[in-house]
Amino acid sequence: MEMDRESGKLEQIVSQFRSKILHVILDSRVPSLHHHHHQQQQESLSHSRVRKTDKWFNLVLGDRPPALENLNFSLRNLFDPMVIDIILVHRGSCSSSVDNLYSPSAPAAGPADETVIERWVVQYDCPRFIATPSGADACVSYKKIYKKSIILLRSLYTQMRLLPAYRIFKQLSSLSQTYNFDLVYKVSSFSHPFSREEESGMKEYIFAPVEALSGCLSVSVTYRATLSDFNLEPLVSLPPKIITDYVGSPTTDPMRSFPSSDKGAHATSFPLRGARPPSSSPFQRPHSWSSGFHRGFPSTKTQSLAGSPPVYRISPKPYDIASPPTDLYGNRIQNQRVSTLQQVTAYDEYKSSPPFSPSASPSTPSYLSGTNPLRTRHCSETAPVTIPLPLTGRSTRYLSPNSSDPSRHSLPPLSPRSSKHDASSQESPSGIRSYRKIEALRAGESPSGLSNNYSAQKVVRDSKDDSGRFSALLSSSGSPRIGFSRSSSRLSFQDDMDDCEFSCPFDVDDVDVSDSSSQNTEGKKASEFTAQSNLVGKKSHDAAVGILVHMLRTAPPLRQDSSCYSTHSLRTEYEGGVSIASGFFMPRKTADALEELNSYREMKDLLLSKSGTRVVRKEEIK
Amino acid sequence: MNCEVCQLKELEVEHFEIREVLRCILHTIVFHRALGLVRPKDVDLELFEITYVQCGDVELEKKIDEKIDHFISWVEKHPNKKSQICLSFYEVKSKQPSWFTNKTERLYWEQWYINLNVTQHPKHHSSKSHHTKLVVDPGESATEERSSRRAMVEASLREVLFQIIKFVNEKKDHVPPISEGVIYFPYEITIPSSSDSAFGMDMIKRMLHSGHPTMLS
Repeated sequence: MEMDRESGKLEQIVSQFRSKILHVILDSRVPSLHHHHHQQQQESLSHSRVRKTDKWFNLVLGDRPPALENLNFSLRNLFDPMVIDIILVHRGSCSSSVDNLYSPSAPAAGPADETVIERWVVQYDCPRFIATPSGADACVSYKKIYKKSIILLRSLYTQMRLLPAYRIFKQLSSLSQTYNFDLVYKVSSFSHPFSREEESGMKEYIFAPVEALSGCLSVSVTYRATLSDFNLEPLVSLPPKIITDYVGSPTTDPMRSFPSSDKGAHATSFPLRGARPPSSSPFQRPHSWSSGFHRGFPSTKTQSLAGSPPVYRISPKPYDIASPPTDLYGNRIQNQRVSTLQQVTAYDEYKSSPPFSPSASPSTPSYLSGTNPLRTRHCSETAPVTIPLPLTGRSTRYLSPNSSDPSRHSLPPLSPRSSKHDASSQESPSGIRSYRKIEALRAGESPSGLSNNYSAQKVVRDSKDDSGRFSALLSSSGSPRIGFSRSSSRLSFQDDMDDCEFSCPFDVDDVDVSDSSSQNTEGKKASEFTAQSNLVGKKSHDAAVGILVHMLRTAPPLRQDSSCYSTHSLRTEYEGGVSIASGFFMPRKTADALEELNSYREMKDLLLSKSGTRVVRKEEIK
Repeated sequence: MNCEVCQLKELEVEHFEIREVLRCILHTIVFHRALGLVRPKDVDLELFEITYVQCGDVELEKKIDEKIDHFISWVEKHPNKKSQICLSFYEVKSKQPSWFTNKTERLYWEQWYINLNVTQHPKHHSSKSHHTKLVVDPGESATEERSSRRAMVEASLREVLFQIIKFVNEKKDHVPPISEGVIYFPYEITIPSSSDSAFGMDMIKRMLHSGHPTMLS
């Protein structure tokens, strides 16, 4: 009975030793299991929790992978050797990584070379049938065996980091790149002997056995001394492609006409339009929208970024189906972003679950292509303004983020135009309608005529905080969506859209000049008008165009309330010398018209000549 | 109980490499002698492509770093000299108090001798200088020489680590039993003191305390 108890203890030590060794080996050679363990270890470190399994051999390794439990069950005969093969799977270089994603088992993937680069053998020799010591001697004996097992495990742990395979493991564990090779493992109770050629390149190290009275626990490793024969290089095609040349890119010429936009008029056409009376502007306004104010969504930019996780998620599927239940190979998942090689471990009816489950994969291609029709849709409409991003960026981002909306604080700096108009939105019923609509959007309303755009924005807004649902949201709906990246750039983009949706991106910087504007509503409009015209000289050509466009849009009819325009309001700090009506008192309506005409003329001059003619013009007037 | 001694292979290192090399060796040895509950921590060397394991004890790390600092100071005062660092593990045994001895005595059961030959003048480099600061000759031959030298040091260091593993595996019987709650056995790191004679005096003192002759192989 005592012998049974003693042998039971020894068996327990041996059994746990095998599990622990397997855990150490898999944790140091199989990247997918290592990632899983590392994550858990982060959690466990925070909780300072030591599991029961960690206490064995005083080595805290974290949760055992599920595969390990099943493997232990399969190899529960302690006297059978436990052979752990670490296999380097090398994919052919002719394969395309994209092909691998969708059809990893396709012939185009190329043949996979599999090479056993390490073989660990844990063996518990057949016990000798000798009388085991009893009582205290037995206890001391098992303590010694346990202590020696601890030391053996320590040395094995250190050795694992010194062998050549560890470097490969580290490379594969890095999530920044994907490679054309993979590390998989195979556990069995027998080992196929190496060929002579294989043996020639291998070395063996035998750890000193732990001798027990009833057996001998030994560990040995046969490993390839050098792995330089393998073409271990990272895949180049897989990293996300950043498309810099998209509509709205700061580096892209804003006036460049993109194929999907049919209204790529040049800004230089504006001075001509600016000379026309505003009364005819309603018919001209579509043209003003078309003069390059179309804003392209950076969908292509985000397309690749947002697309990669769903694309990645497709890949486990074929392997899940293809892996046979009796496959002894344990395979790793290449990369959390893109998987060129995903195979699910199946060993004696066990399959290790990949860390990422496929989700919404069928809709991914439609998502990727969906952005184009989206862009087209936006470009074909006149009401929703697509404003080129660089203009927006220049005009809005870098100005004072004077926002009255607390919800904007978390977003990139808003256009001072919009912020200014926010402040004045209550006062000016017209002219700032576009900004009001932006406010309505923020409040969740969907003004008429803008429903498509806003609804899309709203969808994105709803999903922007939850990147986990983002792709699902995008992919599950059939309607095209604006392409947004999951990153914060998406928020900024959205913010820009909000800013510039119904406002000209060029009528910026009025915050610098418009401080002295009049208080009444119409005066406010005039001040905007003049403030904008004031700033034309200062800003670039494009900004001036924007100002003019805005003026055309917001210009009130000539024959409205005559209190709209006062000479006082027009007498601003305009350096360009638009001192039109200084001391020039005329009946309201005519004066208004004259002033407007003059301002348009000024605008035109300023647009035509960037800086030099300003003083000249002033002199002419005087 | 015999005191097992391991003389590690001599390493030829430059001044700026001392810290990393010593950390690697000392922590590796201690990890094999930290038989209490440990949470292993992998550390990648910056100068070499070697990963070693620490037992994760912050106090231990601090003490080892202190000793390395002392050693580096000593090296700066004694440039271009072969030096030896001794890492000893002992048991504390209570003893009958007498006139000449303390109440407790240390029984050294294992000693590791780390042999270093610091080749470069320490004034050219600070203790934490990166290898890129080593500018001797901007020529290509100097670069090649440097990289081949670096590879040699890495190979030697790897050999030393394998030597430690081998020693640890082959000799286990002399290791004392593990005490409950103790992570690592009491240890002592001895660095050369200001003079060689003093270093020898340290050895003699240790012999007197332990009561066992130090076996130097």
